[in-house]
Amino acid sequence: MKGTLTIFRREVSALFQSPLAWVLLAVSLALSGWIFVAVLEESGGSVKASLAFAGGGSKVYWMIMLFLPPLLTMRMISEEARNGLLEFLLTAPVSDGAVVLGKFLAAWFFMAVMWSSSLVYALVFEVVGSAPDWPPVVGGYIGALLVSALFCALGLLSSAAFKTPALSAFVALSGSIGILFLPALAGLFEFGWLGDTVAAVDILAHFHRSFLIGVVDSQVLLFFLAWAGFFLFLAVRIVEAKRWN
Amino acid sequence: MGLAAAHCLPLPPVISVQHLTRRFGSLTAISDLSFEIEQGEVVGFLGPNGAGKTTCLRILAGFLPATSGGASVAGFDVLKESLEVRRRIGYLAETVPLYNDQRVEEMLGFQGQLHSLSRSERARRIPAVLERVGLLDRRRQMVGHLSRGLRQRVGLAVALLPEPEVLILDEPTSGLDPLQRIEVRGLIQELALEHTVLLSSHILPEIEAVCPRVMILSEGRLAADGTHAQLVETLGGGSCVRFEAALGAEVQDAQRLLAGIPGAQRVDDRGRLGIHHCFDIQCDEDLREDIGALAAQRGWALRELSWQKPTLEELFARIALGFDGDRTGPTGASTEESPPPGSAPVQIDGCPSGTGGLGEKPTSGGDFLNPFNS
Repeated sequence: MKGTLTIFRREVSALFQSPLAWVLLAVSLALSGWIFVAVLEESGGSVKASLAFAGGGSKVYWMIMLFLPPLLTMRMISEEARNGLLEFLLTAPVSDGAVVLGKFLAAWFFMAVMWSSSLVYALVFEVVGSAPDWPPVVGGYIGALLVSALFCALGLLSSAAFKTPALSAFVALSGSIGILFLPALAGLFEFGWLGDTVAAVDILAHFHRSFLIGVVDSQVLLFFLAWAGFFLFLAVRIVEAKRWN
Repeated sequence: MGLAAAHCLPLPPVISVQHLTRRFGSLTAISDLSFEIEQGEVVGFLGPNGAGKTTCLRILAGFLPATSGGASVAGFDVLKESLEVRRRIGYLAETVPLYNDQRVEEMLGFQGQLHSLSRSERARRIPAVLERVGLLDRRRQMVGHLSRGLRQRVGLAVALLPEPEVLILDEPTSGLDPLQRIEVRGLIQELALEHTVLLSSHILPEIEAVCPRVMILSEGRLAADGTHAQLVETLGGGSCVRFEAALGAEVQDAQRLLAGIPGAQRVDDRGRLGIHHCFDIQCDEDLREDIGALAAQRGWALRELSWQKPTLEELFARIALGFDGDRTGPTGASTEESPPPGSAPVQIDGCPSGTGGLGEKPTSGGDFLNPFNS
């Protein structure tokens, strides 16, 4: 889409110019690095176990996964709608879709950069001589990208829907937590078909059954991309609706 | 207006608005607005806050869709061919939206990319527009560190960068101090020589100084449309000669004699000030010489003899706000001629100033730039 790349570049440079992004990056990398080293020591130097932890097996991993996308996306539309920059973008010769997509890609790119630390760990093992099992590492990275895409899209939708960044971040975080843990909660009780439906969108199950064993199932791939696309579509519609009121 | 314009200029109008209506819920922001703007015209939207100026400009800029009616810019429909329209306009919103975390030239580079300008075109145009707005020496400064006046200039540079056919400026001088206002006004006057410009303001001197053609909006309707001189001539009718002299016992005679001067429509008695008596002689032509001769002949000691025309401010007050202001001005006696707000627009049939030149005087006595532009 024309203009997407322009918006993407502008958002990425804005992200990497803001202190917030660097703080998030530093804290996330420090936490995951600490976990990684801790697991490595505890497991007596098990490459497989420590990489599995770095690639989706730890609570810290999911904390980062839940908190970062809302914080990255919260300002992207809500703040621009308030300070008039959205009006500037929407009167530029680019479509509403390109504006939303460019912003989404910027947030997603940031997440991709951050998760690449797990690849770096694996690479270090490769270099120092203890070759890691690459399929789960790469699968885990792809999984991280897909879940990040879903949560970034949700964050952007929330940023489009709510007027203040704080509210947007809160709603997006709540939504992400819901998506992540509702299936687990539903599994505890007997809900019939509803429970089955909820169980079908179990991200954690997808993650453990597919990516962490190094299998990237096209069905699972489609599942994440379709949901992310759906959230983005809604975000575009909300931006369009902003023209009407 | 359109027909008359067609005789003067063969080009189709750059902006054409037909029966445009926009509602926000139960509020009607603009109602059945129709007008055309020719290539090279400089038009000022005048109206009190909430008259619908911004709404109209936003529709033309492709930001807001209309509830009904249509508008086209450079021959493209603002709703159906929005992207084509947006390519051809430079729109500066009132808030001057700019990325504070970018440098001036980065902001312009971003705008250039949005308009798909090639790298070489950007390299050529960015220094050119910065030079134009006088910011070449500040191109490395962060936008967020600039003063309000400089921001406004960056905003203008951003709007100008794609070399748009039409410049749409919403309240371009709002929030500026008087010096910055004069600067920005001068800049707009320069731009007016090269572009079709539509700007809005609720500040009258602004419009008077910059725009040969004025559209007065009131409660979402077009209350008047024409050059300042045309508005004054057609709507005003309130030109008069103010005559103040020591008349002694001849007040009644003087009033009769003044009323008898050819061209004098009515003589209003403004009362006595000390030994002097004041009359306003309503007339379309300047009768000062005749009145002066009469005074000399009768031996009246003159204190004041002046030709007074209604200012745009008075017209604006009358048309847009529906009241006559204080009655000190020469328009005081002609309230009955002003249309009530919300009535059909007063169309001044005449050729719009096609060249957009400032100070153009389509009719006699239209030297409207002087009172405020000095």
